[in-house]
Amino acid sequence: MRWRPDFIIPFLALILCLGGQSLTHAEGKFNLKPGAKGKNCLNCHDGFEEILKNPFVHSPVKSWDCVGCHNPHAASHDKFLDADPKDICVRCHTKVFPDNPVSTHKVAADGNCVNCHDPHAAKFKFNLLKGGSELCSECHKALGERIAAVQFKHAPVEKGCVNCHDPHASAAAGKLLKDNVPGLCIKCHDTEKINFQKKHMNYPMAGTRCTACHNPHGSNQRGLLYDKVHNPFANRKCNQCHEGPSSPTPLKLKAGGFELCRGCHSNMINETLAQNRLHWPLLDRNGCLNCHNPHASDQKGLLAGPIMDVCGKCHVDTINKLKTVKSKHPPVEEGTCMACHLAHSSNQGLLLNKPSVIDICGECHDWQKHSTHVIGDEAKDPRNPNLTVTCQSCHRAHGTDADKMLLSPTQTEMCTKCHKEFKR
Amino acid sequence: MPIKLLYTLLFMLMALAPAASFAEQAILFQPVVSIYADAEGQGLLNPEGVACSDNTLIIADTGNNRLLQYMVKVDTVEFASQIKVSQLTNPIRVQVNSQGEIFALDGKNRRIVRLKKDGQFAGNLDLKGVPPDTGATIVPRSFKIDQEDNIFVLDIFSGRVIVLNPQGDYLRQIPFPKEFGFFSDLAVDRGGSVYLIDSANSMVYSAAKEATDFLPLSKSLKEYMNFPTCITTDNRGVLYVTDQNGGSIILLGLDGSFRGRKAGFGWNEGLLNYPAALCINSAGHAFVADRDNNRVQVFR
Repeated sequence: MRWRPDFIIPFLALILCLGGQSLTHAEGKFNLKPGAKGKNCLNCHDGFEEILKNPFVHSPVKSWDCVGCHNPHAASHDKFLDADPKDICVRCHTKVFPDNPVSTHKVAADGNCVNCHDPHAAKFKFNLLKGGSELCSECHKALGERIAAVQFKHAPVEKGCVNCHDPHASAAAGKLLKDNVPGLCIKCHDTEKINFQKKHMNYPMAGTRCTACHNPHGSNQRGLLYDKVHNPFANRKCNQCHEGPSSPTPLKLKAGGFELCRGCHSNMINETLAQNRLHWPLLDRNGCLNCHNPHASDQKGLLAGPIMDVCGKCHVDTINKLKTVKSKHPPVEEGTCMACHLAHSSNQGLLLNKPSVIDICGECHDWQKHSTHVIGDEAKDPRNPNLTVTCQSCHRAHGTDADKMLLSPTQTEMCTKCHKEFKR
Repeated sequence: MPIKLLYTLLFMLMALAPAASFAEQAILFQPVVSIYADAEGQGLLNPEGVACSDNTLIIADTGNNRLLQYMVKVDTVEFASQIKVSQLTNPIRVQVNSQGEIFALDGKNRRIVRLKKDGQFAGNLDLKGVPPDTGATIVPRSFKIDQEDNIFVLDIFSGRVIVLNPQGDYLRQIPFPKEFGFFSDLAVDRGGSVYLIDSANSMVYSAAKEATDFLPLSKSLKEYMNFPTCITTDNRGVLYVTDQNGGSIILLGLDGSFRGRKAGFGWNEGLLNYPAALCINSAGHAFVADRDNNRVQVFR
């Protein structure tokens, strides 16, 4: 049989018509009757009408497309959601995360969008649960309280965190910043202005990291400097450490490593170097700056960050272990490393602050009153003729997976390491 | 068919050969003997350094501010002498050259002390002609002596390895890489390659003989070690790293690949408690300064 050409066009038109009709039927994947979209849901979910009175309504809700997210019959996910809550939003909001983010907000990356957004309707733009910085302060509570309390406020912070941070992810910088520092800062603060230069003693600041000295979230110090300010810096004596502003290398330091700090802190450094065991990073090319901020800091002793972060920069194995062990030593957990160690130098191994481990433990644990096991110089460790029994013969100061920070999973196993006659 | 079989056998042989030769060459770390005291019975205290040759072992008995010399026999060691000089107050690293001269790093005074074969003080290592990169200060964190008696000093203050000839004259320097955590030790192999161990990042860097910079030999090895502080080589294609906080010895290939973990944390012989240094002689002995166990253990 041969096809007659004058039949082909009507035939194709028929096919298209039929195809189009079947597509119209497939538009609603649940074959809903005309007009039976979301409004049908309100027959039962009557409280929902109140929610819809909010000024900001999620567009699928506005178009009554409840089945865009929910399955009306059965679902494998809570609230009859059509997919895992972690995946459902990004089905439409595909551009929330940049391709190669430098930093991501964990709550967003984990798909917990509803922690900040109401998926139906809300009083605030972008369906946010709360407005401005109030929402961020729900989790970043300490920072929120601090921002509210500081004497000198940073105007963009007052207007809201999203002035500087992208709440989902940033392709430009860490900490969700919309641009790197100083790029972000110089959008408002013109480094070429005379007043700016005068404030910075005519040193070239354009390429420096502003947040090394300034607290972008506000401060109790003028100029938004961190609360603890190094004296020469507070007194604008920059050339005490740096070359002069007219030098070809104005920011270059006048001496390297600890030698720079020795000029003022000679007693402390001499005392440090007089001990047998040094904390070696103190003597490397960064010297004191390995742990301290030379200009200003919000930490005691001008530390470059919270002590766990400072120590954890090198001793990451110790800090990470703390997070996982079952039995934790409170001073270690609280980050008071200096309860047992000295930061600069010591005459004891592990930079301990006392010659005897027993004395260190005794500062908090009055062992003589409730320990029955003999410890001390007279108690020889049967495992090793050069050791005596100390607290550390059975316990590990940074914590273990066993109760009471014991080194063995059970007390019996621990005791029979020495008392072998009782081993079964 | 026989040719195919031959090729298959040849392929299997090639595939298994490196593993077999590694197993043959690497030290198994079976305990041989432990050294607890000198001939008078005075116990070791926090020894942090060891140097060795085929018949000599020198221990930096750091806590007692002295060096101890031992004669190495097949499966035992015999005390030879104690070296205690006023110019060496806190020995933390020790090396011996082919002439039997002893070099010890005084951790407190941050200088390398030179001693004659019999232990007599022969002066401090002057580091003559070293260019002052960051001022005149040099802070030697560690040092090693190669088979030609050249001295390699790990200068953490200026961030470089300084190479000196046997007389202590400056030959050259290799700067540290731009990014690193903290270098605690270095090693030099028979071919003249220099290796650095980064304690903070658990990474090994290397510079081939005459190279002008260090390159990473491995990615971070945190998966295998906690806080490495000492590195050495047996000149047979294995790097040995002491994992101080993990109480272990980590074996690496010369390409930085992980080859095994030996010993473990503990007090009994065969186990380690903050090992500080390691030396390997050509007879296949490994001497470990088992610092917090106050002893030196000999393995083979």
